[in-house]
Amino acid sequence: MKAQRVDLRGVGDLRGLAERVVRVRLREARTLARALDRRDCQSLHDFRIACKRLRYALERFQGLDASLETIAGRLAAVQERLGEAHDRDVLLAILPAAMSATERRLQAEREASIDRARAHWQECEQLMQALDSHRI
Amino acid sequence: MKWLKKTLRREQRELEHARRRFIRRPDEAHLHDVRTAGRRFRSLLEDVAVLVQSKRLRRRVKRAAAATDAARDTAILVRLLEVSVGDAEAALARPLLERLRAQEHRATRDARKELRRTHFAP
Repeated sequence: MKAQRVDLRGVGDLRGLAERVVRVRLREARTLARALDRRDCQSLHDFRIACKRLRYALERFQGLDASLETIAGRLAAVQERLGEAHDRDVLLAILPAAMSATERRLQAEREASIDRARAHWQECEQLMQALDSHRI
Repeated sequence: MKWLKKTLRREQRELEHARRRFIRRPDEAHLHDVRTAGRRFRSLLEDVAVLVQSKRLRRRVKRAAAATDAARDTAILVRLLEVSVGDAEAALARPLLERLRAQEHRATRDARKELRRTHFAP
């Protein structure tokens, strides 16, 4: 999924740049977070990429606001869990039909990873609400 | 903006160093490093696309990342399959595992070949 363009017109300093970039990447991730309800492979993949972009932005600007580092850490956990689910999706797609026990195991692990990703995302959302109410 | 210039140069240099390390020793850890450095740098270029004209560079980074996709995917699948299969289905998994290991080897060799041709030095 293509990254949204960040409008940086009129930005004159690092704080302004951070503010605009983080807002856009945050909006992207929030929009795609519905993947955690849909649970299909493509939506989850797009959401994982959006989390990655947001995390990189937060890590880059973490020197400006200590809370960014904490959120980035939680996002890494979301990504990790979604990555586990994605790996299982890819393996399930090529698994021989006769391997039903392995298939069941991978399916169960996939669902558990998505559940854990959702829990981490909820923690992120709580932390990010504070970001909505103040400037970086 | 001084910060931006410095950050762009640093991340580009990190990607180039990761690329060279992978060329010298094309193993899973170095593959991971070059992919991560590439993703980080690309995301920075996307974030500041309005300020920094980098369409060709972005395309080069994207192409290099795509060249490593197959190597990373097959490496992950091999590790996952190895730990997921119980004794009862081990024999069924063997042909798939062998195929994936051969693919991993070929894909890593192809990724190295592609990355030898691509430079990111600022």
